Amino acid sequence: MAPGRKGRILKRSAVIAAVVAVSLAMEISGFLATPEGQRPEASWTTLHAIVPLVFAASAGVAWSIGSALGPARLMVVFPLLWIPQTFYRVIEDLGWLWPLVRGVDLAWAVLTGILVLLYPRGWLVGRVDRWIAGIALAASIVNLLAVLLLAGPDPAVCECAPNPYRIAELPVLFGFIDVGYRIVGVTLALVIAARLLVSWVRGSVPARTVAFLMPLALLAWVITLAAQAVSYAAAATADEVLSTVSLIAIASIPVSFVAGIAHARNMRARVADLMRITREGADRGLWAESLARTLRDASVRVYWWDEERGRYADAAGEPIDHDPADRRGDHSLLPVASPTGMPIALIRHDRVLTDNMRLLDGVSSALRLSVDNGRLRSEIERTLEHVRQSRSRIVEAGVEARRRIERDLHDGAQQQLVSLGMRLRLAANHARSAGDDGLAADLEDTIAMLNLALKELRELAHGIHPSLLSSGGLALAVPELAGRCPIPVEIDVQAEGRLPEVIESTAYFVVAESLANIAKHSRATRGWVRAHVRDGELELVVRDNGVGGASPDGSGMVGIADRVDAVGGRIEIESPPGAGTTITVRMPLGVALVEA
Amino acid sequence: MEGAPKPLRVAIADDALLLREGIAKVLADGGIEVVASVGTGAELLEIANRGGLDAAVLDIRMPPSFRDEGIVALEEMRAGGSKIGVLLLSMYATPEYALRVMGAGSGTGYLLKERVSEPQTLVRAVETVASGGSVVDPEVVEQLVKRTRADDPLSRLTERERSVLELMAQGYSNGGIAQSLFLGLKTVETHVRSILQKLDLEESPEHHRRVLAVLTLLGAR
Repeated sequence: MAPGRKGRILKRSAVIAAVVAVSLAMEISGFLATPEGQRPEASWTTLHAIVPLVFAASAGVAWSIGSALGPARLMVVFPLLWIPQTFYRVIEDLGWLWPLVRGVDLAWAVLTGILVLLYPRGWLVGRVDRWIAGIALAASIVNLLAVLLLAGPDPAVCECAPNPYRIAELPVLFGFIDVGYRIVGVTLALVIAARLLVSWVRGSVPARTVAFLMPLALLAWVITLAAQAVSYAAAATADEVLSTVSLIAIASIPVSFVAGIAHARNMRARVADLMRITREGADRGLWAESLARTLRDASVRVYWWDEERGRYADAAGEPIDHDPADRRGDHSLLPVASPTGMPIALIRHDRVLTDNMRLLDGVSSALRLSVDNGRLRSEIERTLEHVRQSRSRIVEAGVEARRRIERDLHDGAQQQLVSLGMRLRLAANHARSAGDDGLAADLEDTIAMLNLALKELRELAHGIHPSLLSSGGLALAVPELAGRCPIPVEIDVQAEGRLPEVIESTAYFVVAESLANIAKHSRATRGWVRAHVRDGELELVVRDNGVGGASPDGSGMVGIADRVDAVGGRIEIESPPGAGTTITVRMPLGVALVEA
Repeated sequence: MEGAPKPLRVAIADDALLLREGIAKVLADGGIEVVASVGTGAELLEIANRGGLDAAVLDIRMPPSFRDEGIVALEEMRAGGSKIGVLLLSMYATPEYALRVMGAGSGTGYLLKERVSEPQTLVRAVETVASGGSVVDPEVVEQLVKRTRADDPLSRLTERERSVLELMAQGYSNGGIAQSLFLGLKTVETHVRSILQKLDLEESPEHHRRVLAVLTLLGAR
């Protein structure tokens, strides 16, 4: 759906551009509105302005990767909530606006916290996570109400117009809520960081390699946040260094998030690799190795179902119960069964991987595919071998049958007709000596007809099976074939001794058909036939200097290819237009040469 | 053949009984004494070794392997020093076999089996090989001549020379050629010399060598 995709990309780009514009506008207008003496350093302001840009850019990347749409939306909202303190100078006269802005000006922190909670799946998984998110939201609402209803203009921030929503002047209560909100925020951030750290430390290699960036960023942020909260509570001014570190830490959170997603995607790509290996039919050892690579978990073991013994065992035959590593409980077992319910294997993997069910699903379907493939392959190979054998038996039987027919003709009909001719001759001689010249002439005509019939029969028998091939092999039969070809053919036959009958007759067929093609289609003036025995193969080359362009799909060529195929040979046809045709056939001679 | 003082003594080998007897009858009618009639090349060899034969008529394809037993028997006879005439009979006109037969030496012949219905041809062939001459079936020569070749040396021959060449290949002597073509012996000799010159062949003192050379030339063109 290219148009829809294009439209989506345009829309997202517009949203990001708008958000960035708003964010920069707040930053710049705030900076300009602040009197020069009170302005923060330009470099710090720049850094401060970059943070929302990083979020917006990360949102764009997350969107283009295509997963984690929720987190991407949070990231794109972030710049709108990232309100610089200086911005209050711009809106100080708008009494209706500044309390609202102030009420939400810490929401970016809540949003960032939730973003971390969503990592790496894109949604809240555990109950604790949901509680944390709920508390953070509730605290934010309380804070918003407190600001709206209780806050007065803060001279440290702006010379603001009075707050029109204010219902009471309770500075102690407001201060309590204001500080409490920050404390709750820091606490929650600490909890999130702790959870992330614990799962990272407890995680195995696969989990750790994915997620080390995020806890690091979070930790840095939380520490600076805590320090800032303390200093805020102590009413001290913010520390420059600390706030710089804090900005960098915040900016690195969306980056970590996107990196994590990209890594997960990479993981799926590796499952795809595993699928490829599976398709190529790798053996069990190699498969287990690739699996460990795919999961980045060297502790992965694959136990294959042993049908005979009714248990799982690894590729070396070690049964699963004897594996001591299993008792530590750091591992989970993933049973894989065929669609018909037959067990295939158990994959023992790091428990952390259980979180990544999609990955494991991919792995188990790869394995299922592998086993199914293997079964299908061996079945096909068996069938193919069957077909190959029966085909070669059929071909051999065909050759044998033709040979027998020729022999029957030779020993039967041909001999009978020859002796019939002889008898007719005797009869004719008798008739002539008896003075019956009419009868003698009739008989002589009959003899002539008989001899014609004999000649045709001879051609027929030769066509069925050339006797010269049986008696003299290719060395005699090929020159004889070439002699029948209407164009001159150069012969080079070097086949010492006799070859297996079926090979000889196939080679003879190939040469006969090829020469017939040359005579009929090639417009060649010359042909070459070469037959050499080399490395247990008969190599047969039939070449001409004709017009070329012979199609391997022509019925003649298909016939040749079929015959060659049937004896396990290979055929190559080279026939560029205008440059003659070369047919190269190689046929294995099988067990041994048959001596002449 | 009128009243030869001493009839030729001939043995026949063919695994087809009917033909064997037919051949014996044709030869006997032609004044040839058939002293033995057997079914295999090996039996014939045994008889030939006993001596007293002038010629042998053999089928090429015989037991045990039905391949080229007749020619093998001929080659063994020649290897054993026997000089008797040997006429090979075959169902097929195979130039390659004709060459092999001629290559075995003088007094050899190669005929199609169906020539038994032409008694004179058969009898004359036996007489020819018995006297050390060569015989090649006209159909073999026809096949060889039909073979087309680039740069064919035969194209240099005249029509008449071609006819002479074909008879040469069949084993005819100059005299025989003269008779067949109703030409004078001198004319035939002139043709033969011209043919040999044009085909770059040497006139050989031995008659069968001339046949072999011509056949080889025809086959190798």
